[in-house]
Amino acid sequence: MIDTIFLILSLFALAGAIGMITLSNTMHSALSFLVTVFAIAGLYALLNASFLFMVQIIIYAGAIIALLLFIVMFLNIKEDKLKEPNRYNIMLVVAIILAPVDYLLFQAFLKMPHIGDFSTTLDNFGDVKMLGNELFKGWLVPFEAISVLLLVALIGSIVLARKKERE
Amino acid sequence: MIEASFISYISLAILLFSIGIMGLISRKNIFIIYMSIELMLNAINIIFVTLSKYFGSMDGQIIAMMVMAIAASEAAIFLSLIVAMYRLKHSVNIDDFNTLKQKDTL
Repeated sequence: MIDTIFLILSLFALAGAIGMITLSNTMHSALSFLVTVFAIAGLYALLNASFLFMVQIIIYAGAIIALLLFIVMFLNIKEDKLKEPNRYNIMLVVAIILAPVDYLLFQAFLKMPHIGDFSTTLDNFGDVKMLGNELFKGWLVPFEAISVLLLVALIGSIVLARKKERE
Repeated sequence: MIEASFISYISLAILLFSIGIMGLISRKNIFIIYMSIELMLNAINIIFVTLSKYFGSMDGQIIAMMVMAIAASEAAIFLSLIVAMYRLKHSVNIDDFNTLKQKDTL
């Protein structure tokens, strides 16, 4: 049952990703990426990361893709202005270059030490309580640094997108 | 039949990362480039969460959460930069955004 769900979710993720880089309309491309984001959220749920499943849906699908779609609609791009005549050739060349690298990565992960059974974990592994305990005991300084980073990004995006006054 | 094992998740993440690199290099539309970067971050997140389950430790999931926070702040900065540059150039083609590039004849 889990194998079937994994197969369907990974097919959706790959199809959405391929659609994202091949479709010419920006809007269709962003909607295709949304499919990938939801499929990856499902994969997190399969991997016992229930909190990350919610965070993926809220942050990626709810905030990032929604903001992206808003900006795309706001700018109202005419896609016929943007000709990309040889993009499939470049993709083919990049795929041929990346294939041996991917094979080496795959072999490297196959050689990893076998720790235990992948299919069984603790009962409450990955839920909010366990993640919060770990986050606020061992990762407190990175957590505070991330909050400062978010504040800097908030102020910076307002400063960058503001209209300059004519003097 | 493909089973949901450790190496299947890793293979899926490697494939998604490669698709992200392909989109990053081959496209001219800056929105597609942005989404390709996000796809690569998502692929790395899958590897982190898979390794977290593999080793039975929560550290991978915490790093994945921090990558998501960095992706969110990157989204805000990147999209406001796109809006600012679109006001100047009226284009989303990255070939028009080469103002900072060093010219051949200095």
